Amino acid sequence: MTNISTPPLETHALSKRFGAVTALSSLDLALRRGEVFGLIGPNGAGKTTTMRLLLDLIRPSGGTVTLLGTDPRSGGAALRRRVGYLPGELRLEGRITARTALEQFARISGPVAGGTIERLAERLGLELKRRVGQLSKGNKQKLGIIQAFMHQPDLLVLDEPTSGLDPLVQQEFLSLVTEASAAGQTVLLSSHVLSEVERAADRVAVLHEGRLVRLGTIGELRLDRHRRVRAVLHAPQEVVMQRLMGPATANLSVGASDAGTVVEGQTDDVDALVKALAGFELKDLVVLEPALEETILALYRQAGPHPASSPHARPAGGSTTTSSGKEAGS
Amino acid sequence: MTRGQTLSKHPPVTTLPLWRKSMRDSRLGLLGWTLGHVGTVLLYLPFYPSIGSNANMQAFFTDFPSEVVTIFGLDQLGSGAAYTQATYFGLVAFLLMAIAAISWGAAAIAGDEESGQLELTMAHGVGRAQVVRERALALVTKVAVVVVLASLAVWLLNDYAELELTATNVVAVSVALVGLSVTVGMAALAAGAVSGRRTVATTVGAGVAVMGYVLDAVSQTAHLPWLASFSPYHWAFGASPIVNGFDGAGLSLLAAAATVFLVVAVAGFVRRDVGTG
Repeated sequence: MTNISTPPLETHALSKRFGAVTALSSLDLALRRGEVFGLIGPNGAGKTTTMRLLLDLIRPSGGTVTLLGTDPRSGGAALRRRVGYLPGELRLEGRITARTALEQFARISGPVAGGTIERLAERLGLELKRRVGQLSKGNKQKLGIIQAFMHQPDLLVLDEPTSGLDPLVQQEFLSLVTEASAAGQTVLLSSHVLSEVERAADRVAVLHEGRLVRLGTIGELRLDRHRRVRAVLHAPQEVVMQRLMGPATANLSVGASDAGTVVEGQTDDVDALVKALAGFELKDLVVLEPALEETILALYRQAGPHPASSPHARPAGGSTTTSSGKEAGS
Repeated sequence: MTRGQTLSKHPPVTTLPLWRKSMRDSRLGLLGWTLGHVGTVLLYLPFYPSIGSNANMQAFFTDFPSEVVTIFGLDQLGSGAAYTQATYFGLVAFLLMAIAAISWGAAAIAGDEESGQLELTMAHGVGRAQVVRERALALVTKVAVVVVLASLAVWLLNDYAELELTATNVVAVSVALVGLSVTVGMAALAAGAVSGRRTVATTVGAGVAVMGYVLDAVSQTAHLPWLASFSPYHWAFGASPIVNGFDGAGLSLLAAAATVFLVVAVAGFVRRDVGTG
């Protein structure tokens, strides 16, 4: 049995190289029991590599993994019965029914309590008697979620779990995650869409190009406050530049166009920016949640060239350090 | 991989779950291969009375190039056993079984891995060595099922076709065919388990089958008997089990070769990354 104080999932200096490519570089993570932990980052950031390392599908080039107190390699089959895994690219046998597929997985999982498959299928809206090959992407994903949850594993490792699900089913999935967490199950999930993780995760780790860029709660990382802004003002450029000075506008550029003076760029303080803009006659204003890639690049620039060495040491509120160059992201 | 007892708060639900699944998935294929064999048996064996004991036919074959006569055993069609070996066990049965065993062996690890389905199986409560072992056992089972049913068809035709085979010798040649097919299939399985690629698995399996046949043929036509000692085909059929009964030495060599391939498969598969080929 795992001691209650042992982290259900711990990695130390975990690295993975594929030939000359470093997919994951010196990752340190420690999850708490019952926690929902988000792994976010753009495609190619190392999320899937991390999860495949945890499941012992691939072997580390360096560093260690401890799952439920055990090395996944020596823990083997007995350990994996206590883990539920949803792969990012779910490939299923097409000729059998969803029910048969789930029953086959149940035979090689931890024991599945009677009626669990039916209850989960009902909640997510999956028709068990249909053949897997005839299921839509979303319905296949439901099957994948069920096989990960059905044996009530101590640890769930879910790679892009909401991919292909419609919003209602996503909501139901989030309830499953919340219930699992309340029952003491630990959940690691990944996404390249920030808002998804935001709703479910207690803490997140941001990965970029195989490195841990930041780690903390969503609020701490201020990821949710990052916005892309474009405003067109009816005012002379010099006046705009003068009056828009301040930390909220540090990442903005001001330029002229036929329509008027254009203010463009990123901010993590929408309130201050809008208040500053309110002094002008606005011809247009666009505020967007940026692509995660953009947010992370901004984070990466803020964090400096070696962020992974001290992810915990960053002040919770982040900083307003301006970007001084683009070399960090390239 | 050890199936550690210390952690197993959940005992395995079923014994040999992967073997069972593999057998269930192959039901249609087993039926198809068996029908192919039975069809072949029905096509060749009933004609023995009109060929084997027909002097004109014997004279006809003597006009063939001597190498061809030797390789296909055309000079030995005078007995039912030799006829059955030359037309069926040594030729079509070997060909069909080699193809079946290679396709099963290549699919066992490499095919499943290339389709992306192996990853999710491996993420459940199964060990690496267990996957290889159960799927190797399924390969052996499938080969045995087809050969047993095909040999039964041969046995049922024994009287009708005047083959005068003995039950012991039919069993002996069937076991030899199983051993040869398993060796070939296990070579494909091992190559797939080590490489993760189905084409590599198929190529290696086919290579073992073809080289075995060619070495045996060349050893006879070129009068180089030592060549045959490297041929799994010769290990199986060199001592004419259909005439002389069980050949312990040949069967031992086949078992040893298949075991070596299995050990290579396990050793290669437990070490490497899965699903990154």
